[in-house]
Amino acid sequence: MIGEILIKVAFTLCFLSVLSYLLHHLRGTPAALTAGRWLFRLTVVSIVGTAAFLLSLILTHQFQYTYVWSYSSRELSTPLLVSTFYAGQEGSFMLWTVFTSIIGLFLIRHSRKMGYEAQVMSVFGFITFTLILMLIAKNPFTMVWESWPGEVQAGFVPANGRGLNPLLQNYWMVIHPQILFSGFASMAVPYSYAVAGLMKRDYMQWIKPATPWMAFGGLILGLGIMLGGFWAYETLGWGGYWGWDPVENSSLVPWLVCIAGIHTTLSQRKTGGFIRTNFIMGMLSFLMVLYSTFLTRSGVLGDTSVHSFVSPGMWVYWLLICLIVVFVGIAAGMLALRWKEIPWPKAHRQSTMGQFKEYASSREFALFLGASTLFLLALIVVFGTSTPIITDIMEGKKSAIDIGFYAKWSIPFAVAIGSLTGLAQLTWWNRSDRGSLIRALRGPAILGLAGVVALMLLGVKEFGVLLVIFAALFALASNIQVAVRVFKGNPKFMGGAVAHIGLAIMLLGFVASSKYDEQHTVSLAQGIPMETMGYRLTYQGYKPLDNERYAFQVRVEKGGKTYEVAPVMYYSSYNEGLMRNPDVLNLITHDFYLAPLSLEEKGTDSTAVQRAVFRVGESKDVGGLHLTFTGFDLPESHMASMAGGDLKIGARFSVARDGGGARNVIPAKHIQAGKVTDVADRFEDRYEFVIASLKPDAENRKNSTVEVAITDLFKTAEASKTPDVLIAEASVKPYINLVWAGLIVLLVGFGVTIVRRSQEASLKHPLAEEPV
Amino acid sequence: MKLKVILASIIVIAFVIFGSYSFMESNVEYTDVTGAIAKSKKVQLKGTWNKEKPSAFDPKTSQFTFYLIDEKGKECRVVLDGAAPNNFEMATSVVAKGRYMRDGEYFHASEVLTKCPSKYEAQAEELKKNG
Repeated sequence: MIGEILIKVAFTLCFLSVLSYLLHHLRGTPAALTAGRWLFRLTVVSIVGTAAFLLSLILTHQFQYTYVWSYSSRELSTPLLVSTFYAGQEGSFMLWTVFTSIIGLFLIRHSRKMGYEAQVMSVFGFITFTLILMLIAKNPFTMVWESWPGEVQAGFVPANGRGLNPLLQNYWMVIHPQILFSGFASMAVPYSYAVAGLMKRDYMQWIKPATPWMAFGGLILGLGIMLGGFWAYETLGWGGYWGWDPVENSSLVPWLVCIAGIHTTLSQRKTGGFIRTNFIMGMLSFLMVLYSTFLTRSGVLGDTSVHSFVSPGMWVYWLLICLIVVFVGIAAGMLALRWKEIPWPKAHRQSTMGQFKEYASSREFALFLGASTLFLLALIVVFGTSTPIITDIMEGKKSAIDIGFYAKWSIPFAVAIGSLTGLAQLTWWNRSDRGSLIRALRGPAILGLAGVVALMLLGVKEFGVLLVIFAALFALASNIQVAVRVFKGNPKFMGGAVAHIGLAIMLLGFVASSKYDEQHTVSLAQGIPMETMGYRLTYQGYKPLDNERYAFQVRVEKGGKTYEVAPVMYYSSYNEGLMRNPDVLNLITHDFYLAPLSLEEKGTDSTAVQRAVFRVGESKDVGGLHLTFTGFDLPESHMASMAGGDLKIGARFSVARDGGGARNVIPAKHIQAGKVTDVADRFEDRYEFVIASLKPDAENRKNSTVEVAITDLFKTAEASKTPDVLIAEASVKPYINLVWAGLIVLLVGFGVTIVRRSQEASLKHPLAEEPV
Repeated sequence: MKLKVILASIIVIAFVIFGSYSFMESNVEYTDVTGAIAKSKKVQLKGTWNKEKPSAFDPKTSQFTFYLIDEKGKECRVVLDGAAPNNFEMATSVVAKGRYMRDGEYFHASEVLTKCPSKYEAQAEELKKNG
């Protein structure tokens, strides 16, 4: 009750806040501004209150709430217990709403300073309002007897909850969703500023307060994407940091659009270009957040994703569609309304080839190309992720795209992005002097070429790889050159160069770790060393970590050094399945990655059991025996089976070994009162025959088939003397640290940009731009 | 005409052509056992794991073998390169990506996706069991 009331209070307050802000915008009533401000603050109080209430329910184990029962249990540690807050869909929407509303508090102050409060807050308040609407549609305060009416008595309190999926029980779960959702929430700010700019007819200055928020969103969402990749790599054992899964893509797309937007707004500051583009980009990253949410949360992807949620019901599905329609409608409507008023930038004259050449060497053009590349990449990913919807409309059935689709695009995009980040930094605004441009390009280009030649001498032959390496080295050198120069001037202006250095490092890491990783499946008998890829591995046995999980200790020896890895594998009673967590040995220049596959315990030898399918009259050699399937042994009459319901079907095999005499072996299936039991038969007391499957063909007896499983009892007896064998996948991932290091540098670059742009936004007069 | 516009349209057209080409190539159709047998190209075979039949990982070939039943009840042996995916046992349905091998009468999968039941769709029975 309390939770639902609080949500409805927040809903009403937020609605009134939007109305007041709009009133101020339209009529200029001063009281309306104060009212809107306080109403929004009260909205935040009730939203935070709702969240606190849910958290208290979780912490005090109120299992009569379906949500609390579904995701938490008494056994969880406090941090994990807190994280069950957003383990389900309702809670994660609430987390999103909480972050959005808190950002709103800061936005009130920020936009007031800019003279934008009424417009920005009416849009932002409306976004908050729609998120609260989602919570009304699906709130986490349903009682168990409301979830299963008639089956559960009112007032029933379960003794314990179902608990949190063990896959989520690690520190990533504690931090990753929070970061991702604050990234999503911050994307609403550029949208609000863009719409506000159109409302105020301010087409040039809105980007100034919006840019630091775009950089903030880029930083936080980028961090979220990175942690997600690291989670997948280090704990979930997906074998890599990126799998092009819809859930991953859904955070990548808004991020790419946001970054493209940061680049085009930069151009508007300097040359007054891209005014309309910037409105579109400012609004698009938020719209992409909505679209991604729709893709991953509505169940529309169906069975085509590993982790798309099971359908949350029609309510949420249509509400999400409505949200997209409404926010696209606001964006498109406002833009259409003002389109003619928006000034056209002082056009570069490009009517002659000479003028075009001049334009083509300007930084504005390079930025345009860079932003377009990022935007196209985002389009590709959206397109790929939306395949199930597209094929559903076109062909009437859903099908997903193969990951190869993205892989095909990755090399051309890596080359384009690498070379453009290198080039753009060396060009000048408006136009570059050709001589000085070539002089600046020379150093980085020579370095790139030197790298390529060195790799070719080392035996790298793939053209695509060499191109990426060249582009990345070129970008790295030119940006270091720029960074050094800017540092001497004003270190605060280094953001761009630092971010690009990070990007170049990442590109190198991508190529090395994905193109040159090597993997082998190894069978490690306990205590017996085995060599693979230059590593000497010894499986030493397992030990329990807790009442369910086991760590498999493996000694790794390389170049005189000894390391220990302990991948984890266990049967999870929660998931009713085998869970595997890899272990990673980080060796600076490369990672050694060991993912457990299975443990072949004593007494099992998978070759001891052989199977074969026979038609009537067919002969085959199976596991050293010569078999002929001579026919089925059926009851004398069908009447017998119909009368008693008791049926025995035998498969008659003529079996011989090493030229010895043939003997009949007749394994059978016995059907009695609907239950099937296997009746085994033996050959020479060594081979046990069981019918694995029967496919009788009533029309043509000759087409009937039988599958027989033959167990070599000597081998199983022998196997019980051999040690346990750990089967694992060992892989070496060269220079994967470059990916992580590059990402961190990239994000530091974002941080520097936020500081600079927010200081600049709070100044009345624009700062002097960097002396590049 | 501005050269910028011409240049942009060339890029967009090239992009769309290459895009639709690679899309057509990478779009992998969903099908059932009969469809998989009929087609010789790569498909996604949807069904459920037949728990009655034995399934095993063979360390020699590092392949995992199991039996899959499609919606029409037709069965097929599936050989996956690698071990069973993490959530295999709890999956309500599985999707195997690969092609049908006529000579060996099995479906050779390069990847198996699992679809897991949402924990929210928990049964009231389980609730009573806990209580």
